[in-house]
Amino acid sequence: MIEVEALSKLYGQLEAVQGLSFHVAAGEVVGLVGPNGAGKTTTLRSLAGIIRPTAGTIRIAGHDLARDPVPAKRALAFIPDEPHLFDYLTVEEHLGFIARLYGVAEAPARVPSLLAELELDEKRGALPSALSRGMRQKLAIACGLLHEPRALIFDEPLTGLDPLGIRRMKDTIRRRAEAGTAVVLSSHLLHLVEEVCDRVLVLRAGRLIAAGSIREIVAGDPALAGRPLEEVFVALMDRNAP
Amino acid sequence: MSAAALGYLAIRTGANQLARRIAQLRSPRYLVALLLGAAYLWVALVRRRPGAEAEALPAAWVELGGALVLLALAAWSWIVGVERRVLAFSPAEVTFLFPAPITRRALVHYKLVRAQLVVLFNTLLWTVVLGRTSGAVPAPLRAAAVWTVLSTLSLHRLGASFVRTSIAEHGRAGLRRRAVSVLVVALVALGLAWVVAESLVPVLGAVRTDGRGVLDALAASAEAPVPRVLLWPVRALVRPLAALTIEQWLRAMPAAVLVLLAHYVWVIRSDEAFEEAAAEASLARLRRPAPRRRSAADRPVSPPLVRLSPRGRPATAIFWKNMTAALRRRRARDAALAFALLGGVAAIGSYRGPGSVSELAAALALTWTAFVFFLGPQWVRNDLRSDLRHVDLLRAAPLRGSEIVAAEALASAATLTLLELALIGFSYLALLGNDGLGLSLADRTALLAAALVLLPPVNAAAMLLQNGAALLYPSWVRIGQTMRGVEALGQNLLATGLSTALLVVLFAAPAGIGLGLARLAAPAGRGGGAALGAAAGIAVLLAELWAITRWLGGVFERLDRSTAGLEPAAE
Repeated sequence: MIEVEALSKLYGQLEAVQGLSFHVAAGEVVGLVGPNGAGKTTTLRSLAGIIRPTAGTIRIAGHDLARDPVPAKRALAFIPDEPHLFDYLTVEEHLGFIARLYGVAEAPARVPSLLAELELDEKRGALPSALSRGMRQKLAIACGLLHEPRALIFDEPLTGLDPLGIRRMKDTIRRRAEAGTAVVLSSHLLHLVEEVCDRVLVLRAGRLIAAGSIREIVAGDPALAGRPLEEVFVALMDRNAP
Repeated sequence: MSAAALGYLAIRTGANQLARRIAQLRSPRYLVALLLGAAYLWVALVRRRPGAEAEALPAAWVELGGALVLLALAAWSWIVGVERRVLAFSPAEVTFLFPAPITRRALVHYKLVRAQLVVLFNTLLWTVVLGRTSGAVPAPLRAAAVWTVLSTLSLHRLGASFVRTSIAEHGRAGLRRRAVSVLVVALVALGLAWVVAESLVPVLGAVRTDGRGVLDALAASAEAPVPRVLLWPVRALVRPLAALTIEQWLRAMPAAVLVLLAHYVWVIRSDEAFEEAAAEASLARLRRPAPRRRSAADRPVSPPLVRLSPRGRPATAIFWKNMTAALRRRRARDAALAFALLGGVAAIGSYRGPGSVSELAAALALTWTAFVFFLGPQWVRNDLRSDLRHVDLLRAAPLRGSEIVAAEALASAATLTLLELALIGFSYLALLGNDGLGLSLADRTALLAAALVLLPPVNAAAMLLQNGAALLYPSWVRIGQTMRGVEALGQNLLATGLSTALLVVLFAAPAGIGLGLARLAAPAGRGGGAALGAAAGIAVLLAELWAITRWLGGVFERLDRSTAGLEPAAE
């Protein structure tokens, strides 16, 4: 569903991402982990079509994101860590806007259940200024899910959510994956990655330094066997220090 | 101690901002734009062409006209209100400065010093702009006079907003604390109302003579004892600007500085009083639970003008969103009602013939139409100039860049066109029964029809240029908020001049082809030739707009927020 080949992104002299290749199958959840500046957000923003890679190709649902951006973008949703909402649209109007943008003809039937699922139904007429940080994040998620994307990209999906919201978000990610959506997420919360992701891509200074399920990564190095995920992560970083 | 730290912060911030701006000039796009802007300033404002000197107006008229403009700007601060934008602290300032051991007064001083960056830049611009009309006064003295006016107005806006905020948020306690300011403003307002009522008849009588007649009538009214007292502070501020010799400037400047100092003291004291009022209101709230005031956020939101169907062209969603930001059903209904009522009354009044109040109202509405036509593209910003804050969201949308650019520019063009047509329509009604004009009703109807046809493409062109500027020079165009206040007048003037010059270039081919065809087809009949020429001109203009939109769409698709200098979305 998501195919990335030799992705690179340069900012002046800085190589934010270098030759990154991976794929995410339908129904799979892949986590991007790495320290600050590893290139996680650059990778996700490239996948979402927000920034143009310097080199490499990205295919979403079979469409080349550079050559055929509209159908590719129609198949994906990007949910950033900060909810970017329009100041002058209410909750319901945001969803109406997204419905038209993505051509969701079933939106009138889908919106009420989505609002109920995300506990936004009582705020349907409210402007973003009247919503709490968590509610705005939920609205951004609702906008991302409305068109039932085949590829879902989350940047730090748990930012700003309360414990109940975190639980619901994990459920949402799992349910979407079970329904056949390919999910890519980035997070610093290693327990989330361990709990939710089928595979992990570990980035350091824009390069992929490890890939696979956590069990595979640990099994590949006897020195890491039996150690908690956090220590595995630190050991990988130390070993691949530039 | 705190002054040193705040001074360091202000200086380093200013120096780094300047360094960043200079570094941007390494980009050929920015460098070329800067050179073009400088060339425009030189040709349009600085270079004195032989024989191009405008006939100098008498200094008394300049002083009075300037004073009335300043008075209007000051009144605007009180009537409409302005946010305490000057005192708007950034998230970093709130995080680091508010918990720090620094007095509130020191923080206010810090922000006033920071605001001086904008004031100084505009001082430079206005000094250049006014350079051709200031006689023998050297540029540095002229700059000092401009700076005094701009700084005083900036302080006045701030003081007015303190008073308004204090009263709005703290009710009677705020009113008590601000009693002196409120009393002074009330007295000035009453006095001015009386003066206007007294001078209305002679000024209205002069409207139908000529411009000089109006100015003479205004000057005579302003010399009466009450207006002399009321207008003294604003006239004192303008007098150094109107000075034609160094001696006049020297005589005028002390009074202007006095007005500036009075404003400074007022603002500093107001801020203290504002805090005390806030504290008092907070204590009172603890003593007795006040009924909860409905905040703007709790108020039910009026539905959009049109309900958006999920089916149809996706780009329409962007247009709909931006139109909804400008106009919802309640506001549209109120505006339509006001238009119908005022237009109806003006239309009835128009049958009283020449010199009626309706005629004056029509003249005012047409003047405003001209203002809106030239300055509207700077004011109406429900397009990319707001939406570039959400560039990530737009870039992720399944739309081509050109579709997004077109939808964004059309939304603000539609808003501007509605505004202009409302004003023109009102003028038409206010002159409906007036037979004493040079134009017959049929001619006026034809002009109204021409406005209906021509304004949409012309405004679309103007808005496309504005959106293009935001895309090409995101670091220079203010994204997300309008540059308001008198401090911004200089920048707006420069931007308006530049965009007008570009529009002239853009309209050259359509106008040339349209006029040429109209002349060729003239034997077919006056109306037919004009219609053919207009249609051809509009077609050429639309072709130009299509090509520009395609190009800007590519620019939008290549735009990278992190390298373009766009600030993160304010969420």
